[in-house]
Amino acid sequence: LHKQGSGVSSQGCQGGCQTCSVYNGCLTCKPKLFIHLERDGMRQIGVCLASCPNGFYGTRSPDRNDCIKCGSECDSCFNRNFCLRCRAGSYLHKGKCMESCPDGLVPSDTKKECV
Amino acid sequence: CKPLMSYLQDERLITIHLFFCFHRDISMNNITELPANVFRNLPYLEELRLAGNDLAFIHPEALSGLHQLKVLMLQNNQLKTVPSAALKNLHALQSLRLDANHITSVPEDSFEGLQQLRHLWLDDNSLTEVPVGPLRHQCNLQALTLALNRITHIPDNAFANLSSLVVLHLHNNRIQEIGKNCFNGLDNLETLDLNFNNLNTFPEAIQTLPKLKELGFHSNNIASIPEGAFRRNSLLRTIHLFDNPLSFVGTTAFQNLSDLHSLMLRGASMMQDFPSLTGTINLESLTLTGTKIRSIPADLCEDLTVLRTLDLSYNEIEDLPSFQGCVRLQDISLQHNQIRQIDRGTFQGMSSLRVLDLSRNQIKFIHRDAFLSLSALTNLDLSLNSLASVPTAGLSALNQLKLTGNVELRNGLMSKSLPKLRSITVPYAYQCCAFVACDSAVNSAEDDERRNAFGGEEEMERIPLVMHCSPSPGAFKPCELLLGSWM
Repeated sequence: LHKQGSGVSSQGCQGGCQTCSVYNGCLTCKPKLFIHLERDGMRQIGVCLASCPNGFYGTRSPDRNDCIKCGSECDSCFNRNFCLRCRAGSYLHKGKCMESCPDGLVPSDTKKECV
Repeated sequence: CKPLMSYLQDERLITIHLFFCFHRDISMNNITELPANVFRNLPYLEELRLAGNDLAFIHPEALSGLHQLKVLMLQNNQLKTVPSAALKNLHALQSLRLDANHITSVPEDSFEGLQQLRHLWLDDNSLTEVPVGPLRHQCNLQALTLALNRITHIPDNAFANLSSLVVLHLHNNRIQEIGKNCFNGLDNLETLDLNFNNLNTFPEAIQTLPKLKELGFHSNNIASIPEGAFRRNSLLRTIHLFDNPLSFVGTTAFQNLSDLHSLMLRGASMMQDFPSLTGTINLESLTLTGTKIRSIPADLCEDLTVLRTLDLSYNEIEDLPSFQGCVRLQDISLQHNQIRQIDRGTFQGMSSLRVLDLSRNQIKFIHRDAFLSLSALTNLDLSLNSLASVPTAGLSALNQLKLTGNVELRNGLMSKSLPKLRSITVPYAYQCCAFVACDSAVNSAEDDERRNAFGGEEEMERIPLVMHCSPSPGAFKPCELLLGSWM
């Protein structure tokens, strides 16, 4: 196990990890993968994913890709202000989650959208 | 839909279950190839995740039969071009992820059959230009990212028919110039991200974006923001423009932006005139530092009634207007200017002010009543000025006071109006004696002598112990004022 001090290693790591530690899982990911921090009791465990879990969206930058939380009313989103799928009780219209639809549109419970 | 291997018991059960499968996740499986018709048994599939595999090629018939597919995830694979043939018949597709591949080309017919497409990810690939042709018919597209590519310019009418587009990310490219009409047709665009590019001039093309709310062009090479820069973008809420070598900002650039909450302008080194903020009435935070601005408009607070933080440090401001109208101001930073005096009305009525930094100016005089209404002020920094005295009336909530570097300030501080003081820095050690327990060796005779040194008639009282005073008196820095001062 190739240690880099304080328990950080770059071998024997799970999935898409680049470096990891026994206590906190992945610390950095292989290129193009998103790092996501899962809560495990008091601990935060880093995991490397090709797509962020529900309720999070991926932000890419040259040196790091992160999973960031969507807005509270959103189940899946493109970025913080543009929702792809709303939580129960609201309807999607052009990236926004609405409790009632704009004039001319009606809520569809099956699609969870204003149609 | 669980992977096939876990249902071995009753084959009929498997077949039925699969037939009505809506979601399939086969990400991160090192899959290198998708043969023809591989999903033919899944006609009701709505979401297919193939992310994080090793797909370099997708057979034209691989996805045939998926008439209900809405979400297709192909990110983090090895594709060099958009698999247009394979996508052709996905008429229900709404979200297509192609990010984090190695795509260098987008064939003209790439998205032809995808009339319901709303969300398209092409970021983190190797595109050198905007795929204008392939996007030409995507009038339902609402969100597009072309970030992290190698795009160098945006031609006029690049997104002409994308009338439904709400979000466009172009950050982390190499965009140097953009056509004046390159954003024509984006009538519903709300978010435009041009951060981390090589733009040399202000993107005037934004003037064709009436619905723009969020604009980012930080980390570019833009030297000036023209007059009326945002006059056609009245719905703007956030503008990120830091990390540009700004030297000039038009005074009318930020007018009438009634939804703007925060404005941060740093280091516009040649800027001389305070920008007019008339009509920008919901600004809560204003940062304007590192300029040649010498004065603040007297009517600044007429418009900025909801301002909470004001940072005008590191300019050349000489005189202060009254901030009286800015009743919600909690934090004012004015350090590193050329302010000479504080008048009676400067901070009048500012009962919400908590932090005031006036350090590193040339303040000689502060009116006796200048701080009278600052009942919520906890931190006051007057260090490195030219003060000979400091009024304390009104500072009943003051917790931290900094006076270091006011070499003319020799008298003791009358601490009875500073009941909550816990930390103070003063020019001379003996001034700390009024605040902290001095050595026991000091006897009453010396007490009288010190009282005289502090201006005689005013009673020098000790307030409850201050937790920290510096420079603290000691053996070599006695409480007496001997032959001038010991630093």
